[in-house]
Amino acid sequence: MIELTINGRKVQCPPKSTILQAAQANGIYIPHLCWDRRLTPYGGCRLCLVEVEGQKKLLASCSTPAEQGMVVQTETPKLEKARRTVLELLLVHHPLDCPVCDKAGECELQDLAFKYGPSQSRFSGERKHEPEFLAAPLIERNTNRCILCGKCVRVCKEHQGVGAINLIGRGFKTKISPAFEETLDCEFCGQCVDSCPVGALGTKPYRFRSRVWFMEEQPNICPYCSVGCTTVLSLREGRIMRARGKDGVGINEGDLCPRGRFGFDFIESEHRLTTPLLRKGGKLEPASWQEALEFVAARLSEVKAKHGAESVGALGSERCSVEDNYMLRKFMSLAVGSNNLDSRARFGYHKQTGALKKAFGIPWLALDFNAPLAADVLFVLESDLTSTHPVYGLKVLAARRDSEATLIVAGPQETKLATWSSTWLRSRPATGVALVNGIMSAMLEGGLHNKDAEKVNGFPQLAEHLKKYSPGEAARMTGVSAEDIRQTAAALAAAKNPMLFASFGSSSNTKGEGTALALMDLAILLGRGPEALGMPPEFANTLGLQMAFGDEGKGLDARQMLYGNGQKPIKALYIMGENPAVTFPGTAKVMKALEGLDLLIVQDIMMTETAAMAHVVLPAASWSEKEGTFVGLTGKPQKFVKCLPETGLSMPDWKILRNLGTLMKAEMGAGNFAELAEETAENVLSAQLPAATPALTAVEQATTETTEDGYRLLLATGNLMQHSGSLTAISKNLGSAVSDAYLQINPADAKACGVTDEGFAKVSGKNGAVIYLKAKVTVEVPEGMVFVPTHFAHAGVNMLTSPPTNGEAPAVAVKVEAA
Amino acid sequence: MLSGAELNEIEKELRAYSDRKMGCIGALKIVQRHRGWITDEALRDLAGYLEMTPDELDSVATFYPLVFRRQVGRHVILVCDSVSCYNVGYEELLWHLMKRLAIGLGQTTADGRFTLLPAACLGVCESAPAIMIDADVHGGLEPPEKVDQILNSYE
Repeated sequence: MIELTINGRKVQCPPKSTILQAAQANGIYIPHLCWDRRLTPYGGCRLCLVEVEGQKKLLASCSTPAEQGMVVQTETPKLEKARRTVLELLLVHHPLDCPVCDKAGECELQDLAFKYGPSQSRFSGERKHEPEFLAAPLIERNTNRCILCGKCVRVCKEHQGVGAINLIGRGFKTKISPAFEETLDCEFCGQCVDSCPVGALGTKPYRFRSRVWFMEEQPNICPYCSVGCTTVLSLREGRIMRARGKDGVGINEGDLCPRGRFGFDFIESEHRLTTPLLRKGGKLEPASWQEALEFVAARLSEVKAKHGAESVGALGSERCSVEDNYMLRKFMSLAVGSNNLDSRARFGYHKQTGALKKAFGIPWLALDFNAPLAADVLFVLESDLTSTHPVYGLKVLAARRDSEATLIVAGPQETKLATWSSTWLRSRPATGVALVNGIMSAMLEGGLHNKDAEKVNGFPQLAEHLKKYSPGEAARMTGVSAEDIRQTAAALAAAKNPMLFASFGSSSNTKGEGTALALMDLAILLGRGPEALGMPPEFANTLGLQMAFGDEGKGLDARQMLYGNGQKPIKALYIMGENPAVTFPGTAKVMKALEGLDLLIVQDIMMTETAAMAHVVLPAASWSEKEGTFVGLTGKPQKFVKCLPETGLSMPDWKILRNLGTLMKAEMGAGNFAELAEETAENVLSAQLPAATPALTAVEQATTETTEDGYRLLLATGNLMQHSGSLTAISKNLGSAVSDAYLQINPADAKACGVTDEGFAKVSGKNGAVIYLKAKVTVEVPEGMVFVPTHFAHAGVNMLTSPPTNGEAPAVAVKVEAA
Repeated sequence: MLSGAELNEIEKELRAYSDRKMGCIGALKIVQRHRGWITDEALRDLAGYLEMTPDELDSVATFYPLVFRRQVGRHVILVCDSVSCYNVGYEELLWHLMKRLAIGLGQTTADGRFTLLPAACLGVCESAPAIMIDADVHGGLEPPEKVDQILNSYE
């Protein structure tokens, strides 16, 4: 620890701190405009100047290292004068349009001008009169207000890894702008907006909507991915005006992605359900709760009497709380008497939990959110963590940037991580298993593996199996050179703290349970346990749902219920917060199963494609309209709060299920939420993760469908940073960033297929399904592969995908033509 | 697409630096020498080649007045407007040039032959008033008619 004196107080700070950090750590305020905890010091604004004894000049505390025995003054008349002058100089250019500026009231320049004196400058000079830049989605730029601190530029480039904006021009004319003064076209994460100390950058949805002092702040847990960021909502008169990240708040410590910052408006969508709906004469008609619940109770009893309780199934939701899903399980066992309970996680998260059980004998992973920062070699397999779990992905970027760790990215797509990687192994799509097998084979070949791994169950079989995947053979299968495979093996083996990353989403069809298992084998060969795995669950409460549903294997799973794999087809299905007609692979089979049901009950917050097919639709209250618990990637429960009234007649999911169960004469308990939360905490959230016992399993590379004549392109599906499942399709904000599905295709393939950029493409599968998509010709995908995001219902991408076999929906061969 | 000749020269330039980014100013100058000015397309290609983002390279390019981000004529005339030249006939010289070429500062002649730009100082105060055409400095342009002969030698 370094000891120094600030304002006459002896304080301590860790080595390598700056004076500013030392002061902040000890609760001493030093003003600053261009400094940000996450960025390298810039020393541009000159407001953090301090006096140091023995130094003639004033020093910028943000970029001066604290030294042993330093004597620092942060508030002296000399400093006050210097700061006042800096502010006066800023106010020469900065317009005093605070009355119409959305930043007023929380503007750092305004606050500092208030603190240090002048609202007017002694100097006079020109002001800029640029029109505002409003053409881009979500983010507005007002260059007249800009003080050129460059924080947004650095957040975008250094922290977010994008580099969409910069200081363009020179002198007075300098402005923050994309290259060529084009319209902003970026990830729309909005990190720049939160970092702007003045009102130069703003979010368009919040433009002129409220003054900040009229709003109430309410931190809440983001409902999208499993990172579980805290998004700070600003509320006014029962509506969410905006969402922001606040420095130091939540696991994300202020970072947010487009979904967390802009995706809140889905709850105000006109597609929200406001009343129960009953199918009368072929049409869904509004009904009262009593009518709807009595109908469900009567029809469920009917189906039960006719076909038995085991003919009733239910799908839970990875977006509903632990309590909601626990209540669904309770409803199914107490009121219905069936164990047929599953969710979309079957096609996503179960790939990794299935592998976890085999490799380590544990049911889930509890990730250490900051573990990537401590890793020295990071291996990412066929996953774009920065789009599936954006804020977790930032940790991987940070490890690469700050500690100069080695980042090895394997996969066909040119993702953000690939562009930042130390090594990018551009493998063919859906060849992850072969690649990892090749790496393991190279390790055994060179004797680089951890010798303890030889004692692990299954080692001889794996060693024997890996002979088939010699680096040369793996190179042939994956397209990555044998040399690169050997080097990756050597880098991983030499690492002190290697980490292996992959995300297994229900929409990503190029990775299966085998991929997860191969990575876990690799971890074991490296002498590591589950702590070396960076595999986050997919959605906000995927892990919580897994916990709430508990042990499996008792009833039918989603594959058996919906894809005709069951011995006895189910007759009634209770779907809570899920949209199988869009989000499940192999739409045709799913539709057939749904159409064949005697009773389809859909409980959702919005009118989905599945709800449109239901016999009865029950309106549920959404996130922020109810309270509950999410369990994200850390495995720790996080409470989210109710801060808005329910929409229309909607009710929290758990309450609907309780009322229905009670009507069906079951002892449902849960008189109120507190009682339910207590019960859930006791029965579900108290579960302890057992100790891991490693076992090695040989994994074969599944052969991807042969791409014969015509059907020669491999279709990979996945998700985008700006969207989440099919839910965000009703978010106007996110829709303004990306509103439609598209087909990413390599220029060479595009030429061969006669498809042009921005032109329409006809995509047909061997199953006879045909869809039409706008083409995006890009080298981001390699030859032989096309990529389509799955979020958009009307694009019907899942018509092309195959029903899952072993918990995975494999990549499919498609034919692409100009349309 | 950067041409082979451009790439050759840029590669040579980059050898002097430990990081590709560091050579960006030299690389911009090379491309400008070949093409006359830096188009958006050239800048985007060059940024990729130097492992920079386009906005990063554009921020450098737009910072330097002698990196041209707009089309210029075949020859660029820089007219020195610093103190020494100002005192001994800058105004007359500029006026003469504007009349003769029928363009103002920052403009290009209709035939694309000349672009007229101001320069803060050419560093040849001893021969003020001075101009610089492409890489050649011409001083002692007093009276301004002296410049006519010089212009004729630039096609």
